[in-house]
Amino acid sequence: MATELLKESFPVAARNFDKAGEVSSEIKMILKDLGINSAIIRRAVVVSFEAEMNVVMYTTRGGMITFVLTDEEITLEIIDDGPGIPDIDMAMTEGFSTASEEMREMGFGFGMGLPNIKKNCDKFVIESVVGKGTRVFALIRHVG
Amino acid sequence: MQDLKHGFRIDSSKCTGKMECMRACPAQALRVRSGKAVLVPELCIDCGICLRVCPSGAISPTTITFADIEKYKHKVAIPSAVLYSQFPMSASPAKIQSALMKLGFDAVYDFSVEIELANRAIRECISTWKGPFPLISSSCPVVVRLVQVAYPTMVDQLLPIELPRELAGLEVKRRYSKELGIREDEIAAVYITPCQAKTISIVQPAEGVKSYLDGAVGINEIYNDILVKIKEADSQKSSSSGRLLRSPQLLLWGMPEGQSANLSKQRVLSLTGVANIIKVFDDIEKGKLRNVDYLECYSCEGGCTGGNLTVDNLYVARGKVLSLFSNSIPSDEAFTREVEERYPKTDFALKAPVKPRMVPEGSLGLIELFKRRKRTEEILAVLPGLNCGLCGAPRCRAHAEDVASGRADARDCVFLSRDRINELREIYTRPNGTGRYAKKDDGELKGRSDQAGPEGD
Repeated sequence: MATELLKESFPVAARNFDKAGEVSSEIKMILKDLGINSAIIRRAVVVSFEAEMNVVMYTTRGGMITFVLTDEEITLEIIDDGPGIPDIDMAMTEGFSTASEEMREMGFGFGMGLPNIKKNCDKFVIESVVGKGTRVFALIRHVG
Repeated sequence: MQDLKHGFRIDSSKCTGKMECMRACPAQALRVRSGKAVLVPELCIDCGICLRVCPSGAISPTTITFADIEKYKHKVAIPSAVLYSQFPMSASPAKIQSALMKLGFDAVYDFSVEIELANRAIRECISTWKGPFPLISSSCPVVVRLVQVAYPTMVDQLLPIELPRELAGLEVKRRYSKELGIREDEIAAVYITPCQAKTISIVQPAEGVKSYLDGAVGINEIYNDILVKIKEADSQKSSSSGRLLRSPQLLLWGMPEGQSANLSKQRVLSLTGVANIIKVFDDIEKGKLRNVDYLECYSCEGGCTGGNLTVDNLYVARGKVLSLFSNSIPSDEAFTREVEERYPKTDFALKAPVKPRMVPEGSLGLIELFKRRKRTEEILAVLPGLNCGLCGAPRCRAHAEDVASGRADARDCVFLSRDRINELREIYTRPNGTGRYAKKDDGELKGRSDQAGPEGD
């Protein structure tokens, strides 16, 4: 059984584009301090950044990112009570995006978010109910 | 681990412990212990900001002097293009080159060809690069070191192309040894540099190999001498024998957009200043920066014309570069021929890949580092968070980390120990120091420090 070393939750505000990315910066600092392999850190940073952006872009009330570090794994759980995803298969397709024109102009919404998260973790779970919210779980092993 | 060298040295006997360097260092690599600046070598990225801000002249670049190259049979100067922007407009590049000869160099090498070769190689590398993107220019040694220390995952994004100044060093040795029939190690290839960071890339290249250059002389170190020689030549009305620059492109290398001017078809950002570069690198790490192929990065604001061993202010210098550029004649046929001939034959590959810099903590393991981090947080919780620096670390967090790793005593914080204030008063009022009270006579000074409990003040 893996030993839990750290557990931290970070709130993510909806529509807060200028602050978006702060959670992933914080997670990076923690992992760096702990001497985690830099390639692993980069994967965790990409996962948390993309997840954070999804909450910022699509929810109206924000969400929560919970980061857990054990002696073997990094897990990130992202929960929001936003609009939910009607077709998860579609959402997982590279290039598919429901981002508005405005978001695209800001340089977001390339349809790479969820695929990028999946690509960068060892275990990926997504659950979503339209009108209720979305839960994304990502696990990255940092040893072995 | 190989000993890390740096492009500057701190002379403790001159250091007055004013902490300017410690506060300005973007890498938080300086501490002040017992009133003297001390470097944490593994954190230093050689940006040289400490040299600029030191009020007591205690930090100097590890450049070389003529005495150091005395032993060479043939001494060749390879001036950075920035040199030509430092003098009045009447001092043409040709005059500057002939002044260098009068100062004792046997030849001045104009490395326009190598700049053109590198520009081509960069273009080719970018257009065939499979990723990861963006590629990051490696001409600024500080940028390379910043990546090695703070962005280790991005080392394979550093442009894997040999630099023009290194290609020039190689060519100078090859050419003159053939021409003069002497050995390559009897020839000194000396870079005339706008910053101290280039010296470290010569003394200890980031790839851990040997440089083709034998040392660097700072522009500011020979500025006055060149000026005198130019004036002498002007008064004798002697025509300078040097030719014009072989290609105007030489002037632009080291200037923002100097490399990207040749990269119009690609998506390129030109960045200057360490703080700005860090912001963009953070974005790259998150995957936020998309559709950019190449980052041209200069750690000095304004590019190499803003280097810390330059004399003229960077805006005036930039104006001169642009004016020299627009007044210069296009390169001739001989130049084009040489480029065409050498390009296919040139090996642009780095002699070794650039690797992340190892830190001593790297060997400790997760659990030990986790304990250390916990201890850091505990210490940080009792520190005031004012980042006053009186403990000798630039920020409270840095002090907490130093304590947690056994490099410092928690009681160096004035909020945790009253003795610390007295200790500082003692250090900064030493009669031979230049502390605030240093000029007062001894009696008054002593009287003050005797009553100097926190309550007494």
